[in-house]
Amino acid sequence: MDAAKSALWIARGIFKSFPGVQALDDVSLEVFPGEVHALVGENGSGKSTLVKCIAGVHPRDQGELLYGGAPAVFHNPTEARAHGISTIYQEFSLVPTLSVAENIFLGNYRTRKGTGMIDWPVMRENTRRVLEELSLTLDPDAIVSTLSTAEQQLVEIAKAISIDSSLLIMDEPTAALGLTETKHLMDLIRRLTAQGKAILYISHRLDEVFEIADRVTVLKDGRRVATAPISELKVGEVVRMMVGFDVGLHYPKERNAQDHARLEVEHLSTDNGVRDVSFTVKVGEVFGLGGMLGSGRTEIVRAIYGLDRITCGHIRMDGKDVRFHSPAEAIEGGVGVIPENRKTDGSFLNFDGPKNITISRLDALLQGPWLSLSKERKIGETYVKKMNISPAAMERSVRYLSGGNQQKVIIARWLFSEARLLIMDEPTQGIDIGAKHEIYNVLNELTANGISVLLISSDFPELLAMSDRVAVVRDGHIFQIADGNRMSEVELISTASGITLDAEAAS
Amino acid sequence: MNWMQKYLRSTIAGPIIALLLIVVFVGLITPRFIHPQNLSNVTLQVALVAIVAIGATLVILTGGIDLSPGATVALVCCTLAHLVRKMGVPLPVGIILMLLMGVLLGFINGFLSSYGKIPSFIVTLATMNIYRGLAFAITGGITIFSVSPQLEPIFYGRFLGIPLPFYYVVILYGSAAVFLRYTVAGRSIYAIGGNESAARLSGIPVNRIRMLAFVIAGLTAAIAGVLETAWLDSGSAAYGSELALGGIAAAVIGGASLVGGYANILSSLVGALTVAVVQNGLNLHAVQLAWQDVTLGLVIILAVGVDMWRGNLGQYLGRLFKTAPEKTGD
Repeated sequence: MDAAKSALWIARGIFKSFPGVQALDDVSLEVFPGEVHALVGENGSGKSTLVKCIAGVHPRDQGELLYGGAPAVFHNPTEARAHGISTIYQEFSLVPTLSVAENIFLGNYRTRKGTGMIDWPVMRENTRRVLEELSLTLDPDAIVSTLSTAEQQLVEIAKAISIDSSLLIMDEPTAALGLTETKHLMDLIRRLTAQGKAILYISHRLDEVFEIADRVTVLKDGRRVATAPISELKVGEVVRMMVGFDVGLHYPKERNAQDHARLEVEHLSTDNGVRDVSFTVKVGEVFGLGGMLGSGRTEIVRAIYGLDRITCGHIRMDGKDVRFHSPAEAIEGGVGVIPENRKTDGSFLNFDGPKNITISRLDALLQGPWLSLSKERKIGETYVKKMNISPAAMERSVRYLSGGNQQKVIIARWLFSEARLLIMDEPTQGIDIGAKHEIYNVLNELTANGISVLLISSDFPELLAMSDRVAVVRDGHIFQIADGNRMSEVELISTASGITLDAEAAS
Repeated sequence: MNWMQKYLRSTIAGPIIALLLIVVFVGLITPRFIHPQNLSNVTLQVALVAIVAIGATLVILTGGIDLSPGATVALVCCTLAHLVRKMGVPLPVGIILMLLMGVLLGFINGFLSSYGKIPSFIVTLATMNIYRGLAFAITGGITIFSVSPQLEPIFYGRFLGIPLPFYYVVILYGSAAVFLRYTVAGRSIYAIGGNESAARLSGIPVNRIRMLAFVIAGLTAAIAGVLETAWLDSGSAAYGSELALGGIAAAVIGGASLVGGYANILSSLVGALTVAVVQNGLNLHAVQLAWQDVTLGLVIILAVGVDMWRGNLGQYLGRLFKTAPEKTGD
């Protein structure tokens, strides 16, 4: 380490506890100007808490924060921002009903001198300039709720870089981004660090961390395990430090596909962009749908689940012709869906675990005309044990569970409803590696029991490894279907983007 | 986890605490409060609001709001009075027709709010005016008196020394509680309020269930209308105007959240009792009506405040005992 280049930001001996849990236990961190410092750790390791303590969101119990050697105290995020710390949060802090420009300059409007009224032309121009940094062309007046999740994430990032800051904290900035957008972000990060800004980069995607970071700090259970230059570490070592045991980086895929077909889709077209799609999913097979953002994977799945109108084509389940006009009919027909955004589309935050599990098949609880709550409890206990869900799920609202546990509860819901075809849309998004492996094991158990899975994942290595076969989707049409272990990531990306990438660029 | 924490965690704790404080306070400064005759009056006064509060709670649970029950009550009073007194329809028939009308009025609200995709606030704001307008049209603006001698025992009758309305409230609340806890439809109401899109994806017929909530609200408003007619032995388009907001106030004081998915039907009864006890106390002190409105408003703020602060109180206790407070559906 260059002794002349002293650390820009130092957090020393941070302690922070919440009722019942010591979130941070004597954590120290140094960030140098112009470096990308990655912060990794499992869910619950304290990453988000540390970030919030630095950014002025939480008051710390003990410990100090130093900027350029002098102590810095923030009582709220605004003070942190004034000192040059800018944060991009994992759950966006955008106002959906306002425009892109209004969001980027939220609380920071450009006003006409003297009148205090908003200077729209200046704001629009500034917005355009900021968006250009991200190679993004969006209408500054576009309402945020009309944007795709990826675009929203980029607006969130734009918001952070629009402030002249010395430390940029990014919490899972690529969670909703596709390959092209991620590449733009990486380029942007390199430009920012060249200007001398420091970046604290939090991500579950270790491949990104190894690509962009200079140094990495590993947290586990609220303690710092290690800090080291990335060049001195291997991925396996980092994972071991995060998880505490050796998790093989291989995906635990079991091949359980049987010969007969569960789902047959023939020449399917819908009024929502699906164009002449045909494929078959066998019993016990994991059938992956790969493609870029907006390729139509979700639309194909929506048609099968009864959410969109089918304009032509056939669907057959276990040999029988079916046409689902609503999710209720699809569920009746043995289909279940685990949606992409479990908070908005999956979990009932006003229900505890058992209630979340039984909601799709309430009639199974009926004793006469009444729901049997004791039966529901037993069902809850069965699944909690079977799927290794945190026992807290039995008593409390699922809002208190980690992302991985919430996901398992939702999977349990469809197991209970006896789905024969499970549609999983980005099931491991935003989940730490230990929990990811538990989901993979669940996938194996599902297929071992003859349940078929239609898997959508933007994590292409995961998709290729955990699927028996993968279909590449582009513009609402399937261009290629191949065995998961016969298709390389390069091939998938090429077909998905309709271009040819050379092996170096895509690996 | 000790019993105190578990109690403080439940949704009904806050409202009961508020009610007990108010009862103790009123009882201490008003000697006539504890008198059996007065308690009987309180029971009669609370019955109507309590019954409307059932419908209000159900609609609020689905994430909607119903502003029309007061107007439904007026329309039911006027129609019943007109049918029985002016057209000679036998009272039992009239009552049954009124209950059916309540179902229809609720159905209209529910249909427009669900399939019609109009926000329930707007729909019931409109029907509030329409239904009351119809009430005026039926009576021509006058009050119809002496509807039927058979009405008196319905409201003023007693069983085992206790006024009948007490039993109506108990039966209706018991049924509502069982409905919400032990039926598929009741569970679906909580699901819709908790997460409408997840409910849809889980196969719950969202529109149908939402309509059911409004239909029940219409029915409870009709029941309240019949009882109001029996109470006053007359029908007037001016009746029931305070019941709509009274029902919502009772539900909110009882801890129902206007975002949906969080409410306990029995807490709504506690909320209704709170309102009734405060009004009774003010009456016994011969306080002017204007100040009663002011007091009611303050009670709402205080009761909801206790509910909010109880979370903080629970958090404070939690720091002593190392757990966190929470809010679940029921």
